[in-house]
Amino acid sequence: MSEAGAEAGPGPGARPEPEPSLATVGLIKAFGGVTALDSATVTFHHGKVNALIGPNGSGKTTFFNCVTGMIRADAGRITYRGRDITGKPPHRIARAGIGRSFQLCRVFPRMTVLDNLLAAVRPSGLAGQLAGAGKREETERARSWLARMGIEHLERAEARQLSWGQQKLLELAGVLMSEPELVLLDEPAGGVNPALIDRICELVRELNAEGRTFLIVEHNMDLVMSLSDHVVVFDRGRPIAQGPPSVIQSDERVLGAYLGV
Amino acid sequence: MPRDSEAPLPAGEASLPASEVSLRAGGTQLRAGETPFWAGRLPRLGILLAVVAVVLSFPSMAPSPYEITVGIAILNYAVLSTSWNFVGGFTGYISLGHGGFAGLGAYGTGLLVTKTELPPFAALFTAAVLVAAVAVPVGYAALRVRGASFVIVSIALVLILLLVFQSWSSFTGGSRGLVVPRPFPGMLRAEHHRTFYFLFAALLAAALLVWWIIDRSRFGMGLKAIREDEDKAQSLGTPTYTYKLVVFVVSAAFTSLAGGLYALWFGDLDPVFQFSILSGAYMVLMALLGGVRHLYGPVLGAVIVGYALEYSKVEFGDTPLHLVVAGLLLGVVVMFMPDGVIPAATALLDRFRKTGETSIREVTAAELRERRGQRNGTEEVRDSERSGSGSGTGTGSQT
Repeated sequence: MSEAGAEAGPGPGARPEPEPSLATVGLIKAFGGVTALDSATVTFHHGKVNALIGPNGSGKTTFFNCVTGMIRADAGRITYRGRDITGKPPHRIARAGIGRSFQLCRVFPRMTVLDNLLAAVRPSGLAGQLAGAGKREETERARSWLARMGIEHLERAEARQLSWGQQKLLELAGVLMSEPELVLLDEPAGGVNPALIDRICELVRELNAEGRTFLIVEHNMDLVMSLSDHVVVFDRGRPIAQGPPSVIQSDERVLGAYLGV
Repeated sequence: MPRDSEAPLPAGEASLPASEVSLRAGGTQLRAGETPFWAGRLPRLGILLAVVAVVLSFPSMAPSPYEITVGIAILNYAVLSTSWNFVGGFTGYISLGHGGFAGLGAYGTGLLVTKTELPPFAALFTAAVLVAAVAVPVGYAALRVRGASFVIVSIALVLILLLVFQSWSSFTGGSRGLVVPRPFPGMLRAEHHRTFYFLFAALLAAALLVWWIIDRSRFGMGLKAIREDEDKAQSLGTPTYTYKLVVFVVSAAFTSLAGGLYALWFGDLDPVFQFSILSGAYMVLMALLGGVRHLYGPVLGAVIVGYALEYSKVEFGDTPLHLVVAGLLLGVVVMFMPDGVIPAATALLDRFRKTGETSIREVTAAELRERRGQRNGTEEVRDSERSGSGSGTGTGSQT
């Protein structure tokens, strides 16, 4: 398949428009009578740390679930770097380069920490499927991610034995093991102490500098404003503001949404 | 880079003391100069060879053909339960309908032999291929639902098949049954049993071998991820639906082979026994009893349940008391050994041999602290308020 980035053509010198990463047009999702996403049209920037914020129930997690294929949108179009991924099943979207974490962090509880990462390896072909899991090269790669998270000493422990913070790091390591270009993090700082929040921020910056794009849903405004390059604010299932953190912070609609209309 | 990311251990039981973290010696924790990687497997290999020797010599030691038929019944259970465990153990989908695949295999083999005059063992394998083909649409529909819904769909499968095979008597013989001609006509009864004993043993070996290959493969890793958290597995790029369907078909094929071999051995089929929820339930019970996460779990379960059933049939005659025995066994498993006999026994053994060349051992907080202490020339140690919580960086990175 030909690369769809032809029209983007980002010349190294000219930088008028940031290259689009994940983008949606008119995304609608209703649960019964509740409209979770109300014609949401947003664009996130490739190579940046993007943030998605908004009050509780504004549709952030539904947005995540729609773009990762976990739930099917009622209407609208989702593209990733120009390729249409609307209606694709989650594993296809994952293989297109989009990895995600979950709001309540999810690991494989009865697998060892190391196996949690090895399960994120994507084999191809029959021979690849039937080859033994945990080949040297894969294991080394898994260990280097664990080392980077600082949990490599726990590789033989079952994931359920880990503390909440360790599980958060393990989940992130697992997502990274699947080699995504775009990493969606659903409340990475949720239920986590300040020291680990700093560590996670630092990791996001490092990984972003290495070329990974991030999209973060987060309630911690200090984190969002210090970390992100581009912020989208949701209210009642649609974006009410988009822009760099400095602009968002002084936007009246945003303040209104957060204070309650 | 500060290596203090372990700091967030919350207080309370969620913060795991290092003493509870099992680390495998001989893995990365102990490096060069330690025992070679296969050393831990030698005892296991020894046990395996001993068990194989006992299984193979059993017919010669059996005092009468009756004991051999008990052995065949247990081997048949073991194959069925291991076949069930391809789905149940790897993906965590509990099928109570596998009796249906066994029945289809049995009737398929019997009908192919009687209606098409195919040689018996060609019929056996043809039936398995046909059942695998049937399992594709069945799995396609059933694997869309999870949990209790899947269990109910699987039960529906058996009940529908029972109705079909009972009512369509012009083709299947209906309630009058189907007589399957013996594959070795000239053979005496005792010799017939001996032969089938070894055929069932060979089929069991084949099923175990395939289970083992999948267990250690990347495919198996994906299946186990489905068991743990299907949505999560899919979000990491595992094509969960295809994986489930493939292993479901493999499982159905082996179940069919077990059913077909039973048909050739027993020679008389009745829909009520072939398409019964009970046979599917026995497969589940045996696998759960032994331990679904283990290669030999279903086999061990089959030995225990098979022997208990046979014993109670002899002891209590033609009463339903053997069902009570099966029920009691299920109760014991659920209450005392939810993971099965093998994990329970392993845990018990590990208590007695904490160190040495065992595969799993515990590391106490003190040990970990000491080990960390040897390395903290480069690393910042911080476990200020929660001393001894498994924080820090343990072994450091590999050199």
